[in-house]
Amino acid sequence: MPDVRLIFQLFWTYLKIGTFTLGGGYAMLPLIQHEVVDKRHWIEEEEFLNMIALAQAAPGLIAVNSAIFIGHRIAGWKGVIATILGAALPSIVIILLIAIYFQQFKNLPTIEAIFKGIRPAVVALIAAAVIRMARKI
Amino acid sequence: MIYLQLLWSFIKVGFLGFGGGMAIISLIQSEVLSHGWMTETEFVDIVAISQMTPGPIGINCATYVGYTATGSVWGSLLASIAIIIPSLLIMLTICRIYDHIRDKWKDNHTFKTIMRVIRLLVVILIAHAAISLMTPASFIDRNSWIIFILTLLAMLSPMAYKDITKWQGQETRPVIKKVTEIISHPILLIILAGAVGYLLY
Repeated sequence: MPDVRLIFQLFWTYLKIGTFTLGGGYAMLPLIQHEVVDKRHWIEEEEFLNMIALAQAAPGLIAVNSAIFIGHRIAGWKGVIATILGAALPSIVIILLIAIYFQQFKNLPTIEAIFKGIRPAVVALIAAAVIRMARKI
Repeated sequence: MIYLQLLWSFIKVGFLGFGGGMAIISLIQSEVLSHGWMTETEFVDIVAISQMTPGPIGINCATYVGYTATGSVWGSLLASIAIIIPSLLIMLTICRIYDHIRDKWKDNHTFKTIMRVIRLLVVILIAHAAISLMTPASFIDRNSWIIFILTLLAMLSPMAYKDITKWQGQETRPVIKKVTEIISHPILLIILAGAVGYLLY
């Protein structure tokens, strides 16, 4: 029986992953790797790669599929609910706020400047994940 | 009625959306245009916002389309849940099968080789994704490349530290280990890169 603390950890971990990944899909992998492999030790590096292969092979969003894999592995269906909620909640809240209040959001020069800095960093994060994984094949 | 259409459309998208994010966007596009929920230009804007905001692109897009099509928060929740339902069914089945096979064939040589080949393919696939993101739109000037290289070095520093200590045969500087762990945090690096962008541009 998974305890409440573990369920909350799963939710919190995927909430962080959902909040801080820009560009979706592959951009989420380095963060998932950091949280799930390095920090929580829920799975090992090798199994992380198996997970991505499965998440990629199944239809749907890779981030959501990986959330289901981890949730199921660590705490069964309660874990799945926790990780999916965590992964989807930030998206839903942020997009709703934008849809309702900030239609001009994307034209703000400040936002655009911040994204100019973030975009190359996101590519670097993915490249680093590739290098780490290549050593574990 | 429109709620039922939304539900059905996004369940379809979830079922047929192989290949993640961008593949799913094109499916959503055909659903949105065929139902006349919004114009093509509106949809392009939504894709841009979905990419610029955090979270999985498919969820972002579903939330936005659901809201625009119905003008209500319930529409966006419905679309987001609908796109997840197929993933849930299929992925849980796959997880069960995988767990079963793994426990049974853990030491089977053929199984290990197959998984090895699959892992190799996955790494190639992700490397391809990283390279295809190196567009002029993301790498606008020399500063972009500096941000890229510094971020890459920071991300790889814990691995480099481990290799060096292994080579020397002893843990020499625990402080450096701590530093590499801190600077290799992806969230910290994204926030830093955003701050640098704000200062530079």
